[in-house]
Amino acid sequence: MATTDQEVRELIKREYEHGFVTEIESDTFEPGLSEDVIRRLSNLKQEPEFMLEWRLKAYRRWLEMEEPEWAHVDYPKVKYNDISYYSAPKRPEDMPQSLDEVDPELLRTYEKLGIPLHERAKLAGVAVDAVFDSVSVATTFKEPLEKAGVIFCPISEALQKYPELVKKYLGSVVPVADNYFAALNSAVFSDGSFVYIPKGVRCPLELSTYFRINAANTGQFERTLIIADEGSYVSYLEGCTAPMRDENQLHAAVVELVLLDDAQIKYSTVQNWYPGDETGKGGIYNFVTKRAACNGKNSKVSWTQVETGSAITWKYPSCILRGDNSVGEFYSVALTHNYQQADTGTKMIHLGKNTRSTVISKGISAGRSSNAYRGLVKFNPGAEGARNFTQCDSLLIGDRCGAHTFPYIESKNKSAIVEHEATTSKVSEEQMFLCRQRGIEPEQAVSMIVNGFCKEVFKELPMEFAVEAGKLLEVSLEGSVG
Amino acid sequence: MKTAPMLSSAFLQPAGQALPTTLLALRFDRASSLADLLLPTRRTENWKYSAKHLKLTDEMASSLPSDASVEAADISGYTVVLVNGVVRPEVSNYPSIEGLSIQRFSELDVDDAALAADLIGKSISDQPAKSGSVNLSQLNGARFEDGLLIQLKPNTVLDQPLFVIHHTTASHSGSAYPRILVAVGRNSQLTVVEDYVSSGDCSVMVNTTTEFNLDDGANVTSIRLNTEGQAVQHMGTTGVRQQRSSRFESHSVGFGGTLRRHDLHVRLEGEGAECKLNGVVVTQGTQHYDNHTTIEHVAANCNSEETYRNIAADKSHAIFNGRIHIHQDAQKSNANMSNKNLLLTNGAEIDTKPELEIYADDVKCAHGATIGRLDDESIFYLVSRGLSRRDAKVLLTMAFINELVDQIPVEQVRESANIGLNQFFDQAFQEV
Repeated sequence: MATTDQEVRELIKREYEHGFVTEIESDTFEPGLSEDVIRRLSNLKQEPEFMLEWRLKAYRRWLEMEEPEWAHVDYPKVKYNDISYYSAPKRPEDMPQSLDEVDPELLRTYEKLGIPLHERAKLAGVAVDAVFDSVSVATTFKEPLEKAGVIFCPISEALQKYPELVKKYLGSVVPVADNYFAALNSAVFSDGSFVYIPKGVRCPLELSTYFRINAANTGQFERTLIIADEGSYVSYLEGCTAPMRDENQLHAAVVELVLLDDAQIKYSTVQNWYPGDETGKGGIYNFVTKRAACNGKNSKVSWTQVETGSAITWKYPSCILRGDNSVGEFYSVALTHNYQQADTGTKMIHLGKNTRSTVISKGISAGRSSNAYRGLVKFNPGAEGARNFTQCDSLLIGDRCGAHTFPYIESKNKSAIVEHEATTSKVSEEQMFLCRQRGIEPEQAVSMIVNGFCKEVFKELPMEFAVEAGKLLEVSLEGSVG
Repeated sequence: MKTAPMLSSAFLQPAGQALPTTLLALRFDRASSLADLLLPTRRTENWKYSAKHLKLTDEMASSLPSDASVEAADISGYTVVLVNGVVRPEVSNYPSIEGLSIQRFSELDVDDAALAADLIGKSISDQPAKSGSVNLSQLNGARFEDGLLIQLKPNTVLDQPLFVIHHTTASHSGSAYPRILVAVGRNSQLTVVEDYVSSGDCSVMVNTTTEFNLDDGANVTSIRLNTEGQAVQHMGTTGVRQQRSSRFESHSVGFGGTLRRHDLHVRLEGEGAECKLNGVVVTQGTQHYDNHTTIEHVAANCNSEETYRNIAADKSHAIFNGRIHIHQDAQKSNANMSNKNLLLTNGAEIDTKPELEIYADDVKCAHGATIGRLDDESIFYLVSRGLSRRDAKVLLTMAFINELVDQIPVEQVRESANIGLNQFFDQAFQEV
């Protein structure tokens, strides 16, 4: 299959489509991190006093912590004092109230990314709270949400408008000193989304936030907090792209989900940050802490992620199944190529009775990349009748990549049942032969096979995202098989 | 951040100088590499679940007497008895077969001593762990007082299994460091049964290392039975290197104790080599058993198959950590791992971590792991046919591990395993 090899090489070389830098003057802090920087940041955002204290506490704890080294990734140490901890689009005194006021340069950026802001947002039925670097710029579809009583706003705004809510739940799922990167985020988070779904409300729209890292040398520290009150439902979409640039950028986000009785959250992510070029230069460091606390009975949380970007991914969306009969789900497709490294997976902590969890993870590695699944399934003594099913499959494309599985399974309850299976293989010659025999081009055949491999996960994505996910895989994958 | 305690320097004073100079030098070298190392803690990945049971106090560091009197083993066949890590020829029954040589370290001539020194640490890592903590096989290398060098010339077949009885006398606190080296020539065959037993009930540590080197086409079966007393901390390491088309089979049956740990590391270095690893562990009371296995596919076209079953009752704790590592050039590798666990009570705990680390693309690897309890419907089925609930449970639990016990090729071992298992069932399933 010499020709295919050639084609593969061509395709693998495809450059990052979303590589461009928007030239907007930014209000950026000098690089460096200190208590002073945090005070300035908090002051600038006019945060309540408790928030500053909270940030400082996190910062002090962070100073005592060490960067984790257990992940199966290898990267030069991040110099935290070379990063600027705040960057906002110019004219903060004149924050845009509607789309007309938004800098047209920004809008064009979003257009290039295909974000359905403006009219397209309406057509797609999506409310977009677009975060451009650190400050939320435009918010659409406020009205139907307000009518339903849903709060969907930047977290900085929520801190001013609903400080009690934020105070109650912020850090309740991911404590300030949970881990190194979460502590850093807690100290310096710039902005992010805040969602509150009131009792019994089914959110009328799929909420969507596009994060985009822009100004060079700014680490971005998003903080997302979603609270689903009793009997409510929300589907939240998160997608990411970033401009091409040589220096590594750090991204350490924290996402907290709180679910009360009978609540349900569906959290979907498509991540396509700049993965570095084909020699492994540049790319985003993505060190994210995502966790959901199913505090209520019969609550259900579902994480779906499609990860194709970032030079380094360190991400374990987790579920704490505290409420009886609560359900946690994790569906993931992680694709790495060139010199990308991913260490991702999930944690399912079963505390309550009859809690159930499902983990489906599909890892695809190509080029010289390394792709690891790291997961924990834990049944505490109280997890009577709990159940878990885990399946992690890896597909290898090329003989210089790695695929790894590190599942931790711990059980302290005899009535709990856990099943774990994992397989690793390549796209088989038989499969390719069958397709080619039927006149399907090799490239298309691989695309088909890989799509089939990921189907279980894709079908969990909301329509809008499923399309984007398919496209993403096509770009990163099509034909990368010899 | 709390720092881990250091390994007490008391552990770096080997006893017994009756060894060839090469081995004395090697031992000294290992001991100096141990200085300043930390003891593993909960944060040491390899010791996550077991570190809390590891007790290396100064009094454990002293050597156990090598001249303690023991009864001759009740085994008809070839036996070598080691008491507290020292070979005791007077109670052993060496086979005399052309092509087979069994020597104790203290008797080795210069050439054989050089061979032994060369083999020590060859199949397993003798270096400190990445975290800077002590590697227990390294400790064995620093402390062994005697050992066995078993050599099998090419095309030699040992007609009967060779029993190696490791007897530890726990009449006072201390530790023993048995070391076995096995070199099997081309197309030779050997079955080794390692039986670990103890007498006395003081807390002691047995730190044992066995290394197998299989030449092309060699065929080795290693059976390991562990019935030591409750107070024995057992830390075993087995290293295996396999050359072209060789075959290695391992069967282990372990009964828990205060701390039982076995690290089994197989390297498939020649094309077409294959290995099969079976293990059964049962724990009860507050016992603890930790099995760590690593299979490295270094060369292409190798097969590995691994099946481990754990049963934990009462408040005991059973751990399985299996790792399959496929190197970049190990194309056409086939690796399968299965680990099934039975939790009999709510106080017990089972932790399992089946890992895959794969750097080649043309491979077929799969692992599966389950933790569960006895199936209510199966119990009901048997009860409806007139069995008592207890008998039904015993039968089903037996069935869970029997397929592995049945595969043990030496009848004597199967029998002693079954005696132990029946005792376990008697206690684990008392009529309520």
